Amino acid sequence: MLTKRIIPCLDVKDGKVVKGINFKGLRDVGYPPELATEYELQGADEITFLDISASLEARQTMLNIVSETAGKLFVPLTVGGGIRKVQDMRDALNAGADKVSVNSAAVSNPDIISECAESFGRQCVVVAIDGKRVGDHWEVFTHGGTKSAGIDAVEWAQRAEDLGAGEILLTSMDADGVKTGYDIPFTEAVADAVSIPVIASGGCGSKEHIYDVFAQTGASAALAASIFHYNECTVGEVKEYLRDRGVNVR
Amino acid sequence: MSLKVTITDYGVGNLYSIRRSLEMCGAQVEVITDMSKLADAECIVFPGVGAFNKSMERLLPYRDMIRERISSGVPTLGICIGMQIMFEGSDEGTSPGLGIYDGRVEKLPCRMVPHMGWNQVDSDDPLMDGVTDRNFYFVHSYYGNPVDTSVTVGTTEYEGVTFPSFFRRHNAYGTQFHPEKSSVSGRRVLENFISFAEDLA
Repeated sequence: MLTKRIIPCLDVKDGKVVKGINFKGLRDVGYPPELATEYELQGADEITFLDISASLEARQTMLNIVSETAGKLFVPLTVGGGIRKVQDMRDALNAGADKVSVNSAAVSNPDIISECAESFGRQCVVVAIDGKRVGDHWEVFTHGGTKSAGIDAVEWAQRAEDLGAGEILLTSMDADGVKTGYDIPFTEAVADAVSIPVIASGGCGSKEHIYDVFAQTGASAALAASIFHYNECTVGEVKEYLRDRGVNVR
Repeated sequence: MSLKVTITDYGVGNLYSIRRSLEMCGAQVEVITDMSKLADAECIVFPGVGAFNKSMERLLPYRDMIRERISSGVPTLGICIGMQIMFEGSDEGTSPGLGIYDGRVEKLPCRMVPHMGWNQVDSDDPLMDGVTDRNFYFVHSYYGNPVDTSVTVGTTEYEGVTFPSFFRRHNAYGTQFHPEKSSVSGRRVLENFISFAEDLA
């Protein structure tokens, strides 16, 4: 039986993990390859790096970080942030990423999804969707949640699937950063509408939140950052909690 | 002298993880794009990246030689698509496969495809010796369906469908899962494979 996945997400800027990290024995400033391998030891099913740098120089730094991590990490690695062209995706895969997530660029140019799926296989194409509730539905927002794209998030997820996405990384802008739990109705609406895996993201503040999203929606995976970075609990503790409540985890 | 493992590079996808995993198991690794070099390989790994036709493209001109080498006993491991090309053909592509295993590769009859994530492999094969956690990482939409079911040495259940996920015909192993992405359990399978290959060599 397929298990539910737990995915720690590391925001990387200029080659370093931002947001406080306080693992014992590791550097004060989080070094992505070290943190990624630490999470693998804790039982993480995958790792996601989100590049939040702006400059071109930083992009090369990021690719170097991906290469170094790929030589040490033996679970899948997803890289996202700033992917605008097919070539950006090729560079990330060549550097050692297993999957690449694309967000704003796919909204402005949906063909990038099919081009990447044809070139590299749909299993490595993750479409990241940032959604916010507007009235009785959810709209897609781009550029870090600042710009409405004027399209329905559930319909966009279905279109992304048709174009060749292998997975949807779904972030609720309403829940993100608030730590009061994943957006259950939004996650459920998208997971019901597509037949590719949906990764729930945004709002995780505790292991109970991860249980809730698996118990109440069809999400295949849960992504979380701060609960792991701040040592509030380890990946292993989350899994033990889930296992005790009948959720199938590795 | 440690065992030399030859990894075939089909020209798509990265080979970091499989290369590094095999090195950590103590093997010497060479990655080849010129498939004629398989004539001298001590041990062959067909990696798990790309689609069926693309993966066969460089191998096809040497198909007879490769079949002869594998049937003469060269230890071989195919991973994911690298396993699928060891069948006769696939619904995913038009190219013939290597035909090491009789049968074809078919689409998974499941709702959510690709089957992506960690799932259990039910197997008593010696390559699983010492593997305590039987969860392995999968990402695929097709599966190998052998004519002779005795080549199936492991199975996996997904959405109520049990499919063959682990194969062996004499010296030729194939895994639908990715040992190089399966953390400690995957490492153990690769170590066991390297020991198996060293014993044959």
